[in-house]
Amino acid sequence: MTYPNQPRHDGHDGTRPPQGGTRPPHDGTWMPESGALPGRGSAYPEQDGTYAGRTGAPPAQDGPSLVREDAAAGRGGPYPAYAGTLPGQTRTAPDTAAGTAAGTTAPPAAPEAPVPPARPGRDRYLDLLRAVALVRVVFFHLFGWAWLTVLFPSMGVMFALAGSLMARSLARPAGGVIRGRLRRLLPPMWAFSLLVVPVMFALSWKPVREEGLWWFVKIGCYLFPIGSPPYPEESGSTGGWLELTWADQAVGPLWYIRAYLWFVLASPLLLRAFRRLPWVTLLAPIGLTAVIGTGLVTVDGMLGDGLVDFAVFGSCWILGFAHNDGLLKEIPRYLAVSSAAIVMGFGLWWASGHLTEEGWNLDEIPLAQATWSLGFCAILLIYAPSWQKLPGKLAGWDGLITLANNRAVTIYLWHNLLLMAAAQLVDELWTIPWFGDAFGSYIEKSYDALVLIAIWPLIGLAILAFGWVEDTAAKRRPRLWPNGADRRGKRA
Amino acid sequence: MTIPVQRGRHNRRKKRTVRRRLPMRYLLPSLLLVALLAMLMLRGYVHSEILADHRIQAPAPTTQVPADVLDGGPVIDARKAGEPAKTLRIPDHKIVLTFDDGPDPVWTPRVLDELKKHDAHGVFFVTGTMASRYPGLVKRMVDEGHEIGLHTFNHPDLSFQSTSRIDWELSQNQLVLAGAAGIRTSLFRPPYSSFSDAMDNKSWPVTQYIGSRGYLTVVNNTDSEDWKRPGVRAILERATPKGGKGAIILMHDSGGDRSQTVAALGRFLPQMQEEGYEFTHLTAALGAPSAHTPVTGFALWKGKAFVFAVDISERITGVLVVGLAVIGALVLVRFGLMLLLSFLHARKVRRKDFSWGEPFTRPVTVLVPAYNERECIEATVRSLVASDYPIEVIVIDDGSTDGTADLVDAMWIPNVRVVRQQNAGKPAALNNGIANARYDIVVMMDGDTVFEPSTVRELVQPFADPRVGAVAGNAKVGNRDSLIGAWQHIEYVMGFNLDRRMYDLLGCMPTIPGAVGAFRREALDRIGGMSEDTLAEDTDVTMGLHRDGWRVVYAEDARAWTEAPESVQQLWSQRYRWSYGTMQAIWKHRRAVIERGPSGRFGRVGLPFVSLFMVVAPLLAPLIDVFLLYGLVFGPTGKTVAAWFGVLMVQAVCAAYAFRLDRERMTHLISLPLQQILYRQLMYVVLLQSWITALTGGRLRWQKLRRTGVVEAPGGTPNRRKDAEKDRRPVA
Repeated sequence: MTYPNQPRHDGHDGTRPPQGGTRPPHDGTWMPESGALPGRGSAYPEQDGTYAGRTGAPPAQDGPSLVREDAAAGRGGPYPAYAGTLPGQTRTAPDTAAGTAAGTTAPPAAPEAPVPPARPGRDRYLDLLRAVALVRVVFFHLFGWAWLTVLFPSMGVMFALAGSLMARSLARPAGGVIRGRLRRLLPPMWAFSLLVVPVMFALSWKPVREEGLWWFVKIGCYLFPIGSPPYPEESGSTGGWLELTWADQAVGPLWYIRAYLWFVLASPLLLRAFRRLPWVTLLAPIGLTAVIGTGLVTVDGMLGDGLVDFAVFGSCWILGFAHNDGLLKEIPRYLAVSSAAIVMGFGLWWASGHLTEEGWNLDEIPLAQATWSLGFCAILLIYAPSWQKLPGKLAGWDGLITLANNRAVTIYLWHNLLLMAAAQLVDELWTIPWFGDAFGSYIEKSYDALVLIAIWPLIGLAILAFGWVEDTAAKRRPRLWPNGADRRGKRA
Repeated sequence: MTIPVQRGRHNRRKKRTVRRRLPMRYLLPSLLLVALLAMLMLRGYVHSEILADHRIQAPAPTTQVPADVLDGGPVIDARKAGEPAKTLRIPDHKIVLTFDDGPDPVWTPRVLDELKKHDAHGVFFVTGTMASRYPGLVKRMVDEGHEIGLHTFNHPDLSFQSTSRIDWELSQNQLVLAGAAGIRTSLFRPPYSSFSDAMDNKSWPVTQYIGSRGYLTVVNNTDSEDWKRPGVRAILERATPKGGKGAIILMHDSGGDRSQTVAALGRFLPQMQEEGYEFTHLTAALGAPSAHTPVTGFALWKGKAFVFAVDISERITGVLVVGLAVIGALVLVRFGLMLLLSFLHARKVRRKDFSWGEPFTRPVTVLVPAYNERECIEATVRSLVASDYPIEVIVIDDGSTDGTADLVDAMWIPNVRVVRQQNAGKPAALNNGIANARYDIVVMMDGDTVFEPSTVRELVQPFADPRVGAVAGNAKVGNRDSLIGAWQHIEYVMGFNLDRRMYDLLGCMPTIPGAVGAFRREALDRIGGMSEDTLAEDTDVTMGLHRDGWRVVYAEDARAWTEAPESVQQLWSQRYRWSYGTMQAIWKHRRAVIERGPSGRFGRVGLPFVSLFMVVAPLLAPLIDVFLLYGLVFGPTGKTVAAWFGVLMVQAVCAAYAFRLDRERMTHLISLPLQQILYRQLMYVVLLQSWITALTGGRLRWQKLRRTGVVEAPGGTPNRRKDAEKDRRPVA
């Protein structure tokens, strides 16, 4: 027995082999693109395999590991005494509490309760994070509270989740993976463009003469968003159905699609770099942000915007790789969490010195956004519990969370437009005879709250109207309302 | 250790039983904290640290201001909507003295005295913040016949503010007036105002709005500019109206040294009275009814309640600041002392020629009290067998239900005996073991602790000195890779390498850790063995040894590896027992303070020292965090953060030194910042809970509860008993 004069060797206690190498091979059946799992929601491009059991659960233990991952990981110490006892712990009879083992001499490990092999269900924890991120985005675009970006850095979380799934998919040939991703990303966006772009033209949007052909190339970004598509600064009219800045508001969120596309295209390269030099690759985007996101070096134009977004969220995306490869579980937890907290602290400090007119809106402070999001996502992923089912009270939200995940692209693309529509609807309240006069001041006071109430049914309508495109794009049977009810029904 | 499945099930059950107890343990501390923070908020509020707005509007064009107003008198009446604003002038040979920004605790009384001496009256435009802090002065102004006007709550430039903020400034100011003097007033003077002709396009709309709320806006004719402290002569020159005209004169009774104002008044009043001037308040000068209306009913009580709350918050924060100073000094003194004494101790025991006497080689007995330790007991016993020192091992099975004793029996190791007993608790098990021990030195350890081969040898060497009655070993955290484990690791390393070395040299080691300690049997016999009087029998017995005149020392190389609690709940209950047990032990041995001999020495030096650092100081520690929050939100944020990092650095230096003494890797220190904002708070909430239990007579209740635990143990809830068993006390 060695005594811990040399406390830790590699963070493992011997019972859990490093996870990188021994993970079970990725079988194609887990990839919904193959169509093997009809009816199992995975509409959002990066969701193809958010399956519990793949998110770093120790491979040695099949079923129970999903739920016990935490306990086992927390135990892994430098502490020789446990190396011997740990396996025993996980195997012994669960019912000593009832006193059955009392008096028997050294009872053999009780037979393990028959555990069904891990059902490849979705990792509901990641689903929950994605749903929260979406709701946060809607709230932020409605209320504009800057602190929401600190409370929950939605975009970073979305990119981290997407990066994790991308790394998993890239076990297969990169070309096919990228094609699949594009196929499921673009059609929903085309549906959106098909509605928005003609309206912009109808409201007398003209090509910019100085840009010549280049302008039409830029318009092409509505088809293939390698850059942010252009839009008229002003369109519609004040007081009209479409306010002056409607195009800006509607098309603004497309930067996410562009950034996502960049990441997808860069992923094969990033992943190779990451597996060779994990830490350098993980932190390189932060360094890039420090150079081009702080005014040290400015890159103008479309390329500049794209590069900054790529740098700001690059670390989150690569953190997803790290999560997928089990790197996060390999380093001692105290080290990972403390470093993440320090990185976040730096982000706050940087933000405090670079506040914009919008205050603590991290979207406006690239380096703060990059560091805060990275630390935040790291802590979320370090403590990722890999739920197969939502626990406790969260279970009641299961349907909505499933729906939000299956229609994430639709919700994201349309929500800003719908917010404007919701505001219009609330404005209509004033025109209702008597009601408008009697409650006018109340309407004014609770305006945002009313919009908040109106937005959800509208999002529901958008899901009904446009959501099926996501299914078609994924070569699945189109569904109207994929909240997983059919699946649950079948199981029961 | 418990198996995970069982733990899960157990937790669920525990939650149900605990739920009833839970609220109190969280409720009282958090209520206390919320009340404290509310008090601080209120203080920040009335000290203009919240919502303060120090912007001042730049001069603007005057196109929107009616010419009548620009050329008019200093009192602007814009109360009637639809009618143009009127202005009023003060009649000749009348002076209305106005004092802004007060009341001030130093200067306002002197101004009032001066006015009283010359039988003069004036108008005080008070701010809500100052009035709420010194309501007595407002009352005195009213009683002595002066008039009060509003000067807003917070003194912002109103032209920057929304109408709702203006309303709020006025209503809060009125609220304070109601609370302080039971009146409302209809006079108002905007902050940063001067003469009527200084009205501009920014300030005029405000004046109109305030008029529409029913206030007379009062500016001035002559500005003494006393706030610049230009000297008495200059003040008088600027204040004096020309040619016997009436005037409103602007002065200040607050905002700094106002001795010149007071001196100027002393000359100005008699001088002008000789010239035939009358000093009166505003409405009297204008021949109008008083601006004051009495407040009654709910509004009056609301005002009184507010003023009362401000009063309380002022007092409490005063006390808190003193407390913060005390705790700051205590923390720094403690760190300094620890660094110094641990340095001296390490130098002393690491000297080449240092020895406790002849090498100690006599065989000793190792006692392993065990309760349901089947997962760990084999490793524990094996580690003892590997010892390089002649030992006899006695495993005392305290009525385990999981076959712990059988497991040890089945190992068939000579020199390892198993003693079985009905479940009776750890002190009883230890006493049972002592009775069965063959040798006169007994080493005590826990059933889930692992010794190194040299641990026992190192642990017993000090017994070569016949004065040594007990030796504390060095317990190390094994599971240090989790966050909570790393925090405890830091805590243990500091506790053993700084605290314990300090206590060793001071001769007041409060605790021999249950995980690794050795006792001279003769000493134990003299004090009656382990006792069940407290929840911390190890602290109790150590104090008993001190009182009996034995030396208790620390053996740094006697390392024992132990598993620290992994969940917050386990940690909570462990620490709760420690801190409450320590209090019990201190209370039990309180008589030592007045005794003679070694007992008295311990009672008068060690006991107060231990109480101060283990019981009193942690109680004040939350103040650091409360003020941190306050400073972050309202105060000078930069300085607050810097101070926090300063304290963190001091701790980091101490921790690094402790790690160096123990030759530990420094990487774990990276979790120190997080420890400071998450873990420490948990610890003092636990201590607070112990205090609450102690003060509310929880002692009786605990014992009762403890008995139930014993009764239940064989069948039902082994884990609770188990927690109680694991009463290791590695940290001082």
